Amino acid sequence: MGDDGARDIVKLNKGPVTRTKTGNYKLVLPKDHCEVLTQLISQLRDSLLTTTDDASLRRLFPTAYHNDVKKDAEYQRLMRDELLASRLASIETALTVISRNDELTESEIDAFAKSINSLRLVIGTTLDIAESDYGDLNIESRQSKSPETESDEEKLIQSELYDYLGWLLEWTVSAQSEGL
Amino acid sequence: MKYLAVANVQPAEVLDPDVDDATRSDKPWIVIVWNDPINLMSYVTFVFQKLFGYSLEKATELMLDVHHKGRAVVSNGSRERAEFDVYRLHEHGLWATMEHETL
Repeated sequence: MGDDGARDIVKLNKGPVTRTKTGNYKLVLPKDHCEVLTQLISQLRDSLLTTTDDASLRRLFPTAYHNDVKKDAEYQRLMRDELLASRLASIETALTVISRNDELTESEIDAFAKSINSLRLVIGTTLDIAESDYGDLNIESRQSKSPETESDEEKLIQSELYDYLGWLLEWTVSAQSEGL
Repeated sequence: MKYLAVANVQPAEVLDPDVDDATRSDKPWIVIVWNDPINLMSYVTFVFQKLFGYSLEKATELMLDVHHKGRAVVSNGSRERAEFDVYRLHEHGLWATMEHETL
């Protein structure tokens, strides 16, 4: 990491997302963070374009009528494609703004937050995150385990990404809350 | 960093209705947000403020109801209004469903 990266890390101590005086937002992330985010969000877009029925994506398309199967089927028939289109539109916006050296508008930061949260939902579902995975102690616990197999290593990487996305979303929400 | 804990009650099972719609059509619909182990507490609170215009206090109270009681009613109204709210909550990744209010 060069000088630019070092400056970015200094900025990260103030948080990667800040609200400007004009009501826009600044997103400052090191180049390698941008690359990872772009890769992850692109993978999510490709998955959504392939199918919405994959088990890891189920949290992105929840039931609407929990006690009425017929009404829920009708709701899903009418709204599922619209929800998919909305998610894809947010993803396209997020991909545009992640590496753009310019301020983000309210709608752009909203699309960014929704996309980061969608990624967390998918990775969290894949990791089978549950009540026991609560708070920083569990993060440390997960990270302190040495991977013994390739599958363990993959889970460790996913776990670190999950925690990173949570950190990034916390800062995003904090900045957005200033605009309420 | 804190996360919403997993719920004991979840809208996992979809059942057939046992009461005819006509007998309940005059009752309002309620929108329920269910607990889940992934969404951040701060994010859920922010979404409640943003979508429904709730104060930070009210949004936090609802978020804590979701967290501790497993669910919270966040809005109510006509079926169309409830479907609109459910859709917006789904857009934001929250686990929301709707049902006729039971008194």
